[in-house]
Amino acid sequence: MNAALDSRLLNLVIALPLLFAGLIALWPKRESGQIRSLTLIGMLASLATTIAAFAKFDLHSRQEFQLEYRTAWLSDFGVSYHVGIDGLSACLVLLTGILGPLVVLSTWTFVKDRVKAFHLAILIQQAAMLGALCSLDTLLFYGFFEATLIPMYFLIGIWGSEERRMAATKFFIYTMAGSVLLLIALLGLYYLSGPPGGRSFDYAAIYNALTTATREIAASGTTDGNQLSTAAFALFRYGPWFFFAFALAFAIKVPMFPLHTWLPDAHVQAPVAGSMLLAGILLKLGTYGFWRFAVPLFPAIARNWQVLLATLAVIGVVYGSLMCLAQRDVKRLIAYSSVSHLGLVMLGIFAFTDEGAAGSAYQMLNHGVSTSALFLLFGFLYERRHARLLSDYGGIAKVMPVFSALFLIVTFSSIAVPGTNGFVGEFLVLMGAFKSNLPIGLPAVAATSVILGAAYMLWMFQKVFFGKLTNQENMQLQDLRPRELVAVAPFIVLIFVMGLWPQPILDVLRPSSERFVARALYGSGGNLDVSKVRIRVLPAPIGATPTSTPAASVVMK
Amino acid sequence: MVPHLTVADLTPVLPAAVLALTGIVLMLSEAFLEGTQRTYQAMLALGGCVIAMGVAITSASSPDLLPYGLRLQGFAVFDRFSVFITATVAGSSALVVLLSKDYLRKRDAERGEFYALILFAAAGMSLVAVSAELVTLFINIEVLSIATYALTAFLRRGRRASEAGFKYFLLGAFASAMLLYGASLLYGATGSTHLDAIGRNLGQAVKDRPALVYAAFGLLLAGLAFKVSAIPFHMWTPDVYEGAPTPITGLMSAAVKAAAVVAMVRVLIFVGGGLEARIPYVMLSGLALATMVGGNLMALPQRNVKRMLAYSSIAHAGYLLLGVATLFAPRAHMRTGLFGASGAFGSISAESVYRGLLFYLLAYAVTAIGAFGVLGAIERSEDDKQSDAWDLDRLAGLSQRHPVWAAAMALFMLSLGGIPATAGFLGKVLIFGAAINADMVPLAVVGILSSAVAIYYYLKVVVAMYMRPSSLSEGGATEAMFATNTVLGIAALAVVFLGLMPGVVTNWLAQGALLFGG
Repeated sequence: MNAALDSRLLNLVIALPLLFAGLIALWPKRESGQIRSLTLIGMLASLATTIAAFAKFDLHSRQEFQLEYRTAWLSDFGVSYHVGIDGLSACLVLLTGILGPLVVLSTWTFVKDRVKAFHLAILIQQAAMLGALCSLDTLLFYGFFEATLIPMYFLIGIWGSEERRMAATKFFIYTMAGSVLLLIALLGLYYLSGPPGGRSFDYAAIYNALTTATREIAASGTTDGNQLSTAAFALFRYGPWFFFAFALAFAIKVPMFPLHTWLPDAHVQAPVAGSMLLAGILLKLGTYGFWRFAVPLFPAIARNWQVLLATLAVIGVVYGSLMCLAQRDVKRLIAYSSVSHLGLVMLGIFAFTDEGAAGSAYQMLNHGVSTSALFLLFGFLYERRHARLLSDYGGIAKVMPVFSALFLIVTFSSIAVPGTNGFVGEFLVLMGAFKSNLPIGLPAVAATSVILGAAYMLWMFQKVFFGKLTNQENMQLQDLRPRELVAVAPFIVLIFVMGLWPQPILDVLRPSSERFVARALYGSGGNLDVSKVRIRVLPAPIGATPTSTPAASVVMK
Repeated sequence: MVPHLTVADLTPVLPAAVLALTGIVLMLSEAFLEGTQRTYQAMLALGGCVIAMGVAITSASSPDLLPYGLRLQGFAVFDRFSVFITATVAGSSALVVLLSKDYLRKRDAERGEFYALILFAAAGMSLVAVSAELVTLFINIEVLSIATYALTAFLRRGRRASEAGFKYFLLGAFASAMLLYGASLLYGATGSTHLDAIGRNLGQAVKDRPALVYAAFGLLLAGLAFKVSAIPFHMWTPDVYEGAPTPITGLMSAAVKAAAVVAMVRVLIFVGGGLEARIPYVMLSGLALATMVGGNLMALPQRNVKRMLAYSSIAHAGYLLLGVATLFAPRAHMRTGLFGASGAFGSISAESVYRGLLFYLLAYAVTAIGAFGVLGAIERSEDDKQSDAWDLDRLAGLSQRHPVWAAAMALFMLSLGGIPATAGFLGKVLIFGAAINADMVPLAVVGILSSAVAIYYYLKVVVAMYMRPSSLSEGGATEAMFATNTVLGIAALAVVFLGLMPGVVTNWLAQGALLFGG
């Protein structure tokens, strides 16, 4: 493939699920079997494109964003269609691609009514998530970020459990409330991104303008902002609010303590596919947002709030674990374990060290693998028994030995037992946090999650799988069918591969995490290695209003 | 003396002339047509609207009709604003005519005068958009209002229809009186009813008779605020929206609102421009704040979908008022606006506000007509007598009964809520972007938060349609509703098209000065 085709690869990544969605929309409604197979084929094709994109990603390249493509779109609004991936998004895109077919397999027999709409929603969800991960234009990102809400809202609200309507609405409102403020902040950044006539929502333009402004503020040491240029003054006056809007939107999505209350409801009520997509990718958009937008755009402000956010992250870690210990409902328990794990990711991000950043990126992938796997496996049990409470189970290991063995492996991965993927990420995050300038107490407290995590996961495992088979209904449970084994196998493989050979993935993540840390430190005057800070601005698309702005092409000194 | 008129003088009023003529023909046709031939009337009305829209669009693009400016001896104005509003109004009326056809037939109420009234109202709205003189403006507002009063009460057998019509009429007459009183005070103060002359003389008048000018400004603002249904002048809206025939509710929320907003901008740009900027700014942003927040909060508890959409239309009027307030935003800081040159009256920022207002009006028009179109389609003829006709439960399970209508309704709800990839989202981006540019960040934040609250009640509709089982055992619409389906298709396409490729519209809006005197 030549370069021109390469640069269009991401378009295919985003569009392919949509194409299949279009095809399914035209398919006869009653042919559920064909619809399922077609969706599976679509997801497999989508997986192939994400693998291709990952393979094309050159980790030795000096280019941060690769496979970039930009074309004119909504140029009156300063928006262009601009996609590209760096190391982190390449990995997350691949993870999304891998989860796609497994999600379809997970609900092969579970969803019986409105099959067509269900698979349409999954495919659109996939496209929206891939789009959000590839967007290099902030408003395009915002569009995809919001677009992920709608299919998930229907997935929870139509195919969920008893309280589904409440959970779906809660999910939507929570996320929406955060993201409208994000929109306001983006509109503000648009005006900061350059002089009149040269403004755009392009990530690189906004980033470069903000970095210049941040440096200017840091260099002038101003207290009232009088001598600053217009952009720097606006950042000086409104920057904390903008950062707050970004942080709020993404913190709700992550979700960080104390904004996490929508997550247990959404997870408990969602169908298996919904939980897998939610845990696998959707929550990553929150941490990804911090990584890509909130911190690099406002490095100085992020550092000012570093301790607060890290503290909230640690509270999330501990609180999530403690809540797990108190749960009676397995899905709710897994949901709270998500809160705990993602707290660790946030701690890694706000450590601002290379290890912390790499660890948090790795932990994002881990969480996507292990939590989706937990939801998938529990989904199989739920499909058989339609019960979620711990007390409904017990002694399952006797009737479902293969299932139990696989569940144990995933449990280990979630606990972060050495040899599984969880260990690598958790270890790096904690090491990064200990090496950082954060108070030593924070990582120390966070480290207790290792013990608490083992406690609640093993306790859950014990309640479900060991003990006496008391419940009559559990006697007849059938072990995993081949289709289900196929759906689980990739997770098991990933758990061990990522646990035993983490280096290849860490190599892909390293340039991104080094850049992330360099940027976080540069803005506040701490880092002078400019090579990692600049972002190349793609030339303006032909026919657009002048978006290749003076501000955008001025690279910071 | 015989005034010298050229063809170019007639350009701004040509679409209105087409609409009015068609209306007259429709009235006459009533004497000759039999009951089964009513379809011709709908087709004639549709043709009139489409031709008027075509005339407006042609006049916008043909270069020999430029330059923009005053026509008809200063009584009419021809600018991008008037052309855009005329095209929007004529297009909305065309859609409403189509919706009315099925709606009236179900009730055996298909009459020529219904269509004629729609066209008269449309002619009035189009003329409001071109009026450059206060008396002309007043008369045209009356033309459109009286036609709308009659349309509201058209299905006069229903109790609520007559109540709505009467209420609308009484309060509307009150508002018109305020408008007229304000205009006369202004005439006393400045010696003219022409807007541009008022603008010229106002500076002196404020010095000589400040009380008179401010009283006039207050009265005009109140009268216009009534027409756009801004809080606290909104009381009529829910009742009228609920009682009016559903397609007419669509017309009111789409076209009448557009005409009212354009009248407001036109008057305030001259009258407000001469005053100390702080006063119109404070009053308008106060109105905007109350309307955005109040509209959304009052819509929250509604279970009656039509009333809920009425309050939602109030909230949307609030966003539009935020745009109008942006025109008068003072420079908050010692520099020229925080984010570059902005806030200055008549600067680039004002152009972007006009652009936002016009785009928002168009986006809201197609969305609202679509939403009321769905409501009208599922409405049954006996609903006029029921008290709970519009309960949310009526929509329960719609996705099973009418998947296409439900999908369209969901799309309209998302557009009203401002979700990306819909027209409503880009409209909000433009309006709120301009407000932020003018350094009105707190107001913009409150507005956008209130729109997040609004998502809740829009979602209630979606929840009912998709996530609740059908509570009714009706067999669905047996009769073919070709016209209604066409309208819903056009509206849905427009919502998506404007949301994804607004270039056709925005490029035209960006081509030059939008508003005469602005």
